[in-house]
Amino acid sequence: MQTAIDLTGVACPMNWVKTKLALERLAPGDELAVRLDPGEPIESVPRSAREDGHEVAVEGDVVTIVRR
Amino acid sequence: MTLSESELERYSRQLVLPEWSGEAQERLKSATAIVVGAGALGSPAATYLVAAGVGHLGIVDEDVVELSNLHRQPLHFTPDVGRQKAENAALKLGVLNPDVQVDPYPVRLDEQNAPAIVMGADVVVDCSDSFATRYAVNDACCAQRVPLVEAGVLGFDGLVLSIKPGESACYRCAFLTEPPAGSVPSCREAGVLGATAGIVGSIQALEAIKLITGVGEPLVDRILQLDARGMEQTIVSTTRRADCPACGRLTAAPQSA
Repeated sequence: MQTAIDLTGVACPMNWVKTKLALERLAPGDELAVRLDPGEPIESVPRSAREDGHEVAVEGDVVTIVRR
Repeated sequence: MTLSESELERYSRQLVLPEWSGEAQERLKSATAIVVGAGALGSPAATYLVAAGVGHLGIVDEDVVELSNLHRQPLHFTPDVGRQKAENAALKLGVLNPDVQVDPYPVRLDEQNAPAIVMGADVVVDCSDSFATRYAVNDACCAQRVPLVEAGVLGFDGLVLSIKPGESACYRCAFLTEPPAGSVPSCREAGVLGATAGIVGSIQALEAIKLITGVGEPLVDRILQLDARGMEQTIVSTTRRADCPACGRLTAAPQSA
């Protein structure tokens, strides 16, 4: 199952807070697609997700995270 | 229970912690904490619990604010001298975080009222300044299986012990009897630097948060001893006493959460 959220216009670290809470609501193996602003958001949210042990892919301004 | 946008922002710097989660935040929000004492330990303990987002906090103190309290009790300010301490603390805490329900109990906790005060709490934080109160809090928490954070501070020395009644050593297991009256100087006689109490009260808040949320490992069966002169910390192991008059009869069977 894939869920998508648009976090453009949401700055760090609130974008990671919202991503993290959205991931908590998913089942392991589910995917979350997150649209982020360029710059710090698209750089740091994938890093935080990887540090928490999730599988992460970045394509353009969308980060796809597979919940661990 | 969901978190509002303003709660997400208020708690964002703890929500980003890998050890923390939305679930932990919600557990904290649905919890009731009772802080016994609105003084040197109670000020930091209650402040950090309210700031972190505990849902409901009761604060117990029968005294009024005195000028000589202010060097170590940072919830009370100079214009507060003469005000009722529990009520003044509740006022300050309510301004710090209006999302928390804060109730003042302007009474002295004793053996008679302790059971009613701790009833239904998820954690009790003992920030009292007398052995009689400490044993009354411990016994009431054991009887009702309410997790408890005990602490004391005197001079540059402090100690902290977290208690899961029926599972870990209680205050009586560790310190079976009250020291004879007069053998230990009270805080009033012995003195303390506020910052030392601030360390110990902050540790109590953190321990209470751990007991409520299950995040981290609380100081159960372990007494933290702090000597702030050289900032030395020692952990001393303790265990339950089978014949403990407060908790000896409790079985380890966990209560449903």
